[in-house]
Amino acid sequence: MNGKQTARRKRKESSGASRPAWRVILSWELKELWIGGKALILIILFSILLSIMSWLLATNSELNLIPRKEMIFLTLQATIAVGLFISLIIGADSISGERERVTFEGLLLTPASHRQIILGKFFAAISGWPVAFAITIPYLILLSQSNAKIVLNSLLWSFTVGSILILGFTGFAMLVSTGTNSNRTSLFVSLAIYILCLLPTQFPGSAQAGLAGQFIKKINPMEATNQFLEKVIVNNRTPQEMAIWLWAPILFFGFTFLILFWYAGRVLPFDAGRLWMQRVPRRRVTILALLICLVVILGSAPVRALGMRALDAGTSLRISTDIAYKTIKTGDTVVFNTTVTNNSKEDSPQMFVAMNIIDLAKNGDPVDPEDWSPVRTRAVGPLVVGQSSTQSWTIHAILDGDYMVYLVLIPEPNDPQSTSQPVVSSGIHMTVMPFTSLNPGDVLPLALGMPIGLTVLMFVLLWTRNRSINIGRPPSTVENLST
Amino acid sequence: MTKKNNSKAINSLTEILLVEDVRKSYGPRPALRGLSFSLKAGRVMGFLGPNGAGKTTAIRILTTILEPDSGSFLVDGISSDYPEKIRQRIGVLPESLGFPKQMTAYEFLVHFGELYGQAQNEAKAYAMELLEEVGLQQRGNSLIGTYSRGMRQRLGIARALINRPVVVFLDEPTLGLDPHGQQELLALVRRIAEERNAGVVLCSHLLPEIEGSCDDVVILNAGQVVAAGSVAEVIGRVQRNVILHNSFRIQTAPQFVAEVRRIVKELPEILEATSQGEGDGWLRIELMDIADGNLSHRSQINNRVLGALIRRKIPIINFETQSGRLQDVFLRLTEETIQ
Repeated sequence: MNGKQTARRKRKESSGASRPAWRVILSWELKELWIGGKALILIILFSILLSIMSWLLATNSELNLIPRKEMIFLTLQATIAVGLFISLIIGADSISGERERVTFEGLLLTPASHRQIILGKFFAAISGWPVAFAITIPYLILLSQSNAKIVLNSLLWSFTVGSILILGFTGFAMLVSTGTNSNRTSLFVSLAIYILCLLPTQFPGSAQAGLAGQFIKKINPMEATNQFLEKVIVNNRTPQEMAIWLWAPILFFGFTFLILFWYAGRVLPFDAGRLWMQRVPRRRVTILALLICLVVILGSAPVRALGMRALDAGTSLRISTDIAYKTIKTGDTVVFNTTVTNNSKEDSPQMFVAMNIIDLAKNGDPVDPEDWSPVRTRAVGPLVVGQSSTQSWTIHAILDGDYMVYLVLIPEPNDPQSTSQPVVSSGIHMTVMPFTSLNPGDVLPLALGMPIGLTVLMFVLLWTRNRSINIGRPPSTVENLST
Repeated sequence: MTKKNNSKAINSLTEILLVEDVRKSYGPRPALRGLSFSLKAGRVMGFLGPNGAGKTTAIRILTTILEPDSGSFLVDGISSDYPEKIRQRIGVLPESLGFPKQMTAYEFLVHFGELYGQAQNEAKAYAMELLEEVGLQQRGNSLIGTYSRGMRQRLGIARALINRPVVVFLDEPTLGLDPHGQQELLALVRRIAEERNAGVVLCSHLLPEIEGSCDDVVILNAGQVVAAGSVAEVIGRVQRNVILHNSFRIQTAPQFVAEVRRIVKELPEILEATSQGEGDGWLRIELMDIADGNLSHRSQINNRVLGALIRRKIPIINFETQSGRLQDVFLRLTEETIQ
């Protein structure tokens, strides 16, 4: 290589190659969002939320309220919801915000194609999700008490499925943004859809279990994602078994992506005008609204209750407890025994003892026994006349309050055409006092450290940037072109 | 190094913008009804018209933001069928251009340089060059949010030049600037045309400034070109067509207003003399109809009026013949729309 060629090569290397337009737009957007922009502020708010949530979860964990896997699921569910919210806000602002700030025309005047503009903005809009997810990881490790298997499995699936969901919703928000000149409108529409997707979880339990309710769950990408993750993370179901729940987020993502890049990427008007209103006839909107109403009404139809069996006949069996009352703190464990005695004149059949707990402060509402005790029923073998059998029971006091524990002894009926008379024990009056802990599960340092660290990072970034630029003086009141 | 690139490639007589019968309607309302004109390299063209005449629509079509319903145009020989190629060759300062307030002017220009396909180092070097050219080198590293309107307009012009354009469209660049700022900016526009040999399309309502800064003018009214050519040609053509006001204006010292009125009304060709303004000595003198529209005849009348006043030792501060300026031509040509 001669001297001239070397010099030419050096010149070329020093000037560098030009970047594709979408990357230029992406880096510009990231700078705007993350240095002094809203993204870092939203992430700091998220870290505060996550800190509060993990502290509460850790408190509950100490009380044996929530299994570890469920805590992880709840944390990831919140991460996805917040990541989605952040991406939705940024996506909704991406085009209409530029129109409102009158910077969009300047961008359209460059040779960058519409698709490149959308692609750059799309990547910028989803940038909040991986950051939110990364912030969640230390919390998860702490909450799982360093159980690598649980954490890795949860992280893998939540990131994969959460990404699909967030890509879909971000694309949708950008689609709305391309169709309006007003930032408020695009934010309102996007958030309305977000809330609409959250709404089915607020249906009555019976409505959610109905056919239409199940259908809505399956077609609602947000709910379907939650169902998938809950089943895989908490209930140890395989992803293959639960694959049906993935259809909604995947289809939603594919649909919005296609429309965004194929249609909006082609037309992308500098002034949205009445683009969408003109394209959708009123009749179609009415039909769509009626269909939505119908689906909601159908979803509210409860599952038909199954028939009940009547009870008759009686026995002279007896069940007693070894304590009558107990005062404890939340998180404490109570162990007690019951004794079943056959006082009748004949041998007893096979029997079952079922434990019930009611909240005296809430009009006798039953508590969820699943949370309070791992064993709620016990089988008692046939007893000969005068014979007794003792059972041991354990209760974890989950919530503070005033409770009554009672047990029901149920003899097995002799044949399909007969029934039996259950027998009830005397109650155990249980008073549960509140429990407080400042640093449950050692979560406090992280819960405080993460938001503080991120806030410090934000100020360091701003300080670094302010050092590199001249902050300048306020604009002069006199318009003067000479410097 | 790069400023005069265009001058090497383009002969100053080359038509770098050629617009042929461009039409555009918004629903039933026509915005442009057959727009045709051309622009040569190194010339500044004033693009005028009353509000709603179709100027902004025309600029948006020529800058490929909007598509025309019919018609076509060529920029530097490139057909309007290739909008992305055209965007490589034009620079635009839209009427209302927003700026990212949290960025510096230097970052802003580098960003746009990269969007036009420049490598980062090249974009940085050229951004510095442009900041110097528009007189912002001292404040290039300041946040745009701290800029005055004049500085933002200059930054907008620098941004329009980032791709070394062949044609530059400037939509109301002097809007909101003080008189000194307007003059500085118009001088900058002239420099762009001369030093870069670029064609400049300048939309403005400052007609006296347009007259002083532009080589050519296109006057648009109700979506149609009502006059096009060099500034002198357009004014001259209008005068020849006798669409003139038969009047002129004189300013004297306020205490002489009554006497001037009395003197000029004694002259045979004068129809009326009315005082104008609020005691600043302006009078509007209306002449009898001049059936043949003969300019020399009109000049003789003017001279007679002036002579009569001078003989009576009346101080004459100002004398303006109407329809002799671009502003008058503009008003006359667009009168119907305004009415």
